[in-house]
Amino acid sequence: MPLRWPAPSTMRWLILATLLVFWELMPRTKIVPELFLPSLSKTLAVLYSDRLEYVEALGVTLYEVAIAMLFACGAGILMGALGGGVALLRNLLLPVFSSLYAVPIVILYPIFTAWLGVGSESKIAFAGVYGFFPVMLSTAAGIRTIDPQYVLAARSMGATLSQQITRVVIPASIPTVLTGLRLGGALTIIGVVVAEMLTSAAGIGYLVTRYRTILDSPRVFAAILMILVLSVMFDVLARGLERRTLAWQTAGRRPRRSREIMQAVPAGAPA
Amino acid sequence: MQHMASLTRLHEVAEPTAIEVARLSHVYAGPEGGVPALEDISMKVAAGRFVVIVGPSGCGKTSLLMMLAGLRHQTEGTILCNERPINRPDPARVGVVFQEASLFPWLSAVDNIEFPLALRGMPKEERRRHAEAMLRLVGLEGFGGRYPHELSGGMKQRVSIARGLVQDPPVLLMDEPFAALDEQTRMTMGHELLRIWSTTRKTVVFITHSLTEAVYLADEVLVMSARPGRIIDRIPVTLPRPRTYEMMATDTFGRLRDRIWQQIRKTTQPGLA
Repeated sequence: MPLRWPAPSTMRWLILATLLVFWELMPRTKIVPELFLPSLSKTLAVLYSDRLEYVEALGVTLYEVAIAMLFACGAGILMGALGGGVALLRNLLLPVFSSLYAVPIVILYPIFTAWLGVGSESKIAFAGVYGFFPVMLSTAAGIRTIDPQYVLAARSMGATLSQQITRVVIPASIPTVLTGLRLGGALTIIGVVVAEMLTSAAGIGYLVTRYRTILDSPRVFAAILMILVLSVMFDVLARGLERRTLAWQTAGRRPRRSREIMQAVPAGAPA
Repeated sequence: MQHMASLTRLHEVAEPTAIEVARLSHVYAGPEGGVPALEDISMKVAAGRFVVIVGPSGCGKTSLLMMLAGLRHQTEGTILCNERPINRPDPARVGVVFQEASLFPWLSAVDNIEFPLALRGMPKEERRRHAEAMLRLVGLEGFGGRYPHELSGGMKQRVSIARGLVQDPPVLLMDEPFAALDEQTRMTMGHELLRIWSTTRKTVVFITHSLTEAVYLADEVLVMSARPGRIIDRIPVTLPRPRTYEMMATDTFGRLRDRIWQQIRKTTQPGLA
């Protein structure tokens, strides 16, 4: 029997499984000291024994992420739509915001804690600002790059200005906006965790910092594992939402339907 | 030949005028008084006729068509459609088919065709009935559920034509609708368009770069000069209808094609004429 590579999706799972096996074996065989990398089983064990503490911390983090995302997405879409749609605002705002995007916004975090304290408010403000930029910039780009032919066609069919916006501009810019939301959402998670690690008294990021200070590696890794799971879950959700909203982009590319088209087109299809 | 020409003229007098353009000029705003784009265009298109406009690139053909559609305003002159002026898009009087596919990729073929009806708030069932009839007319029955990216170039332009015709406007404007298609598909589509035209009896104003397409489709070919665009020749096409592919090999076809080409050559390279 000829040797064949497994499918890419199988390969991905195999690579992940191999990594997990290495994570378990490296510390056990003392190739890597437990202090640097506690074994997977030990990490999971503390995660289970301290589950109340971790779940509570996750709750705080999730709450902060949710509010920050709401702010980042809402304000980002609003400002992006204005910046993309109104020429005057575009010339005023976009160059400023594009440059600000390059600034490491984390330098502002000490100011946020001074203003808003070490509680959730400063995390929400910081992460909201952090996630705002990609959402705003991609919304503006999405609206600016709409094929003018679409708007022209709609006008020729008698569309009013509000119909042009709701029936052409919005659906045409959705793909770019969704990409921005996914990026902005991921940055919001990063923002909250980083903020918690810097100055705070609660949340997953706080646990990482606290246990690192007392050199409790398994608990540090347990917290890292939770953040990993959180980010991956967000990405899976965001991709799922994108797939559902943009079904028209992939319609017929699914194997089941493309076969139908292959059969239908040469048979009776007109030019 | 003489006899044929006078017959054509008699024919024109007998029919009401669908489009009348009088002394139309257009200047694009710019430094030093702007760029003249169109100069003193006058034309009359009788109802039910198929008029093709050809001219060198950048001569303002598309601008003229945008003005006929009410999508752009001319600096001077008037446009009448069924004896009423056109100054904004009026899909009940004028349908437009654009270059390449201007179909909305997020809507299926049938939803694209229904789009202008949906703008007017027509109920869903009635819309669907009209759209299905249009799909049948353009030969795409059963393809309504497909999204534009699932259709070939020719099929997309069939959907565009259906969308232009769905409100049953007396006039259909077409801006190089087949320019992006390969030559074989283009020939088929030209023939299909004539079939659709002969069943719907619309007045068509069609813009193209292709001389063969112009002669094959038109009752009359208007030749425009290089910028600023003027109409420099009006060529009645005396070939009988229905047109067939074989006519392309005839002397008459060749002579008409050559006459258009000589006019375009003269206006783009005055030194060679």
